[in-house]
Amino acid sequence: MATESEPSPPTRLDPIQPDSAAKLLVVPALVGCLVALTLGLYGRLHSPTGVAVDVIGFSSPATVKAWLASGALLFAVVQFVSSLVMYGKLPWISAPRWIGGLHRWSGRIAFILTVIVAVHCLYALGFESFDARVLAHSIAGCLFFGVFTAKMLSLTRRGTPSWVLPALGGLAFALLVLIWFTSAFWFFSFFGFRR
Amino acid sequence: MKIPTPILTLIVGAALAASLLISSMSAVSAKKAALAAASANAGVASGATASQPTAAGTATASAQASSTPSATASGFVIPPHANYDGEVQGDLGSVAVAVHDTFAVAYFCNGSTQEAWFKGAPHDGNLSMTGAGSSKLTMTYALGHARGTVTVDGISHVFSIIAVHKPSGLFESIAVVRGATVKAGWIVLPNGTTQIGSLNPNVNAASSVSQAAPKLNLSTLTATDDGVTLVATPIDAETGSGF
Repeated sequence: MATESEPSPPTRLDPIQPDSAAKLLVVPALVGCLVALTLGLYGRLHSPTGVAVDVIGFSSPATVKAWLASGALLFAVVQFVSSLVMYGKLPWISAPRWIGGLHRWSGRIAFILTVIVAVHCLYALGFESFDARVLAHSIAGCLFFGVFTAKMLSLTRRGTPSWVLPALGGLAFALLVLIWFTSAFWFFSFFGFRR
Repeated sequence: MKIPTPILTLIVGAALAASLLISSMSAVSAKKAALAAASANAGVASGATASQPTAAGTATASAQASSTPSATASGFVIPPHANYDGEVQGDLGSVAVAVHDTFAVAYFCNGSTQEAWFKGAPHDGNLSMTGAGSSKLTMTYALGHARGTVTVDGISHVFSIIAVHKPSGLFESIAVVRGATVKAGWIVLPNGTTQIGSLNPNVNAASSVSQAAPKLNLSTLTATDDGVTLVATPIDAETGSGF
């Protein structure tokens, strides 16, 4: 769905329209950049404590995060599929009435799960760059929240170009998959499934 | 005024993040206070055995006066020779550190594939060491107690460990078996019996994967790996063995 990166030309009857539509994106984009930058700077400047609040029922913070992140990814897949249905990209499925609610609530749950993980990451571990996996994870983690914020803010603006939401949503999903592969997937493949 | 739901989502997320951050901060300061109390007690215990009552008294007083044990440089007694070991938080491995005057050796292992040896120079109760790859260990230590972070294979482990004496401590074995240099390490935990060891079957091969070390016989200091007898050396800062 992120392939529609070109704005569709047929609506270009009024020369003012694309300009003002693009203007609508300035604030969400700036706030998104600010969020990503703030998280990165905080992660880099705050000296990691190594510990944060413990979640009961798990053997270590790393396992908690791996499971929460996996949960977030699961809900993100629901997000991805439900958005495909909403945009009619799965022609053999007609969008049920509750698809919008499913999309919103799966997104909210996924977001809350990622917030819990991200706070622990930033507070206890910080932004690190000692190998490619860790660097990719750190960058993608900061970008994810920036993209997510931009998407949430652009949702509230009427008249944004139609490619914006699929592009931002697709980007957020791709980043989350990258984040999960560089952390939870790596953790489980290294240590095996453990709780 | 009705707040648009996407904005509400962001607000809820930010509020959750803020509350988690605050509870993390209080959890960490509680842990720090507990560590300060533990190090004060450990200072008394090891001070008594090492017959340094005045030094232990100073350590206890300063530990109680300050709630932040990280202020090791100012007031804590820094022992010139000390061994520390114990499990890291989260039970993903164990760490052992031996500090001998101006030189320190440390070892982390999880009893199977993950292990790392570290060397470094202590400075005023602080130790920052690097090992193979990108592994690193930073630690502050004082009489009876040490705490820090060890990062191996990209995973950071926090540890808070106590001073140990024989038979607890660190043991190392290096042997050439059929042309390959085999290096094994064992950590005997403070209880004096539980041991965790990893063995690298070929130190010079980058692709060599470590495995569980055979059980070390603590009275003979030998272990048998594939029919080959490995002889272990204690790395003991108190006797200077291994330095």
